[in-house]
Amino acid sequence: MFLTRSEYDRGVNTFSPEGRLFQVEYAMEAIKLGSTTVGIRTPHGVVLAVEKRVHSPLLESASIEKIMEIDTHLGCAMSGLTADARTIIDHARVTAQNHSFTYDEKIKVESVAQAVCDLALRFGESVHDEEAMMSRPFGVALLIAGNDELGPQLYHTDPSGTSMRYDAKAIGSGSEAAQSELQDKWHKQMTLQEAQILTLRVLKQVMEEKLDQHNVQVAQVHSVYSHPFVHCLTASQVTAEKGFEILDETSLKGVIELM
Amino acid sequence: MEHSFASPSGHPQPHQRHFNPYSENGGTILAIAGANFSVIAGDTRQSEGYSIQTRYAPKVFRLTDKAVLATNGFAADGNMFVKKVRQRLEWYRHAHSKDMPIRAIARLIQTMLYARRFFPYYVYNILGGIEEDGSGAVYSFDPVGSYEREACRAAGAAQSLVQPFLDNQIYFKNQTPAHGTSHPAHLPLDHVLELVIDSFTSATERHIEVGDGLEIYVVLAKGSTPQVLDRWQGVTEMTTTQDGERMFVIRRNLKRD
Repeated sequence: MFLTRSEYDRGVNTFSPEGRLFQVEYAMEAIKLGSTTVGIRTPHGVVLAVEKRVHSPLLESASIEKIMEIDTHLGCAMSGLTADARTIIDHARVTAQNHSFTYDEKIKVESVAQAVCDLALRFGESVHDEEAMMSRPFGVALLIAGNDELGPQLYHTDPSGTSMRYDAKAIGSGSEAAQSELQDKWHKQMTLQEAQILTLRVLKQVMEEKLDQHNVQVAQVHSVYSHPFVHCLTASQVTAEKGFEILDETSLKGVIELM
Repeated sequence: MEHSFASPSGHPQPHQRHFNPYSENGGTILAIAGANFSVIAGDTRQSEGYSIQTRYAPKVFRLTDKAVLATNGFAADGNMFVKKVRQRLEWYRHAHSKDMPIRAIARLIQTMLYARRFFPYYVYNILGGIEEDGSGAVYSFDPVGSYEREACRAAGAAQSLVQPFLDNQIYFKNQTPAHGTSHPAHLPLDHVLELVIDSFTSATERHIEVGDGLEIYVVLAKGSTPQVLDRWQGVTEMTTTQDGERMFVIRRNLKRD
């Protein structure tokens, strides 16, 4: 299939005569090998769910981390070369912290997605006579879920440095089946619980193993946006805001039982 | 740097040269926050010592349709600082597709000032405008970035004359309310404008560095009507967006002696 590409798939920043960057396209292929990841946006918040491939009974499934917090109001789920996601998430976290340090406000979800994309395209960049910082594109795609002044949002970013906002999105090996299932089942007025159940049902359909609280990871963001003033001016009105939370095994078990 | 020079006795003496990068250009600024408006004012005289460099050098600058920045101290630093703040506001607008809220501008100004902690902008800043919740806001800064949100603040050459007056008239310091009554938390716009004009005419009388012209910026929150301004002369509207906040400037003369 790739035989004809031999000349132009070597350099990371060389276009083929047809106008393609093969290394970027191969990076997208790496994501298709990754575990299935699903995200759903509802008016009440966003849900993320990932399949954890527990390929050995001796593997501690709790040590597989495919959903990570970026800031208190947003986080992401990954599919592909998850090690690459560390670099990206580090960058996203620093960007989010710098934003609240400089502007005393939470960064927008869109801005974080943009920051991730800015980094994604910095492969092959090098100053004269110096080693490039990144030698290849990232082999990972992210679903970024968060909540800001514009409400709950779900973004998808990939190695080509494009980010798009979705109501529901699936990535990874089972993404084709999962995406069409989402297209059938998603509706505008879903509750957060309905969304949780839908993500798990979709994962269940594409997973080889039987789904349980050990081989999936679920996270959610609530839509209750707390305006900065609620914190600083009326201390009596401060309510415990949940923000981005990764479900622990007990609450995950509860959701699975509801399926 | 030390150089050796011959003293009258013929012995070499250490001699220190120094360079003073700052000057002080006089003038005064003040800002008062109302319930749904903010007023930011400054005189326009720029002086150095006893000489007036110009009778019209603005010290109050429109940043967005809901934020105004007044600078006082070393005029060159003030102008450069405003230029840099405006640049950052534009970058922010491009990166986040919205105007920076005043609370964020206040924090940005702090980080920009503190970044120059060891070669500061020799400027006192007062930021006025409308907060995201529609309330009038005033933020005041010292030259290295300490800041605070307040209801009113005066700074500059006549700060020591104006601030006590505002403390008495805005915060009702040293005033006891009549039995069974209480002092208002916020004053109406026309009353605030009277206080601003009185502050500057008095400061002009008693301080040689204050005078020539007065620029009063008025920022109105969404939905508030500018009717009060009809009875004022020399009002120019400065609003540029359709966001709802409106901005006006009132230009008046002050004594030129």
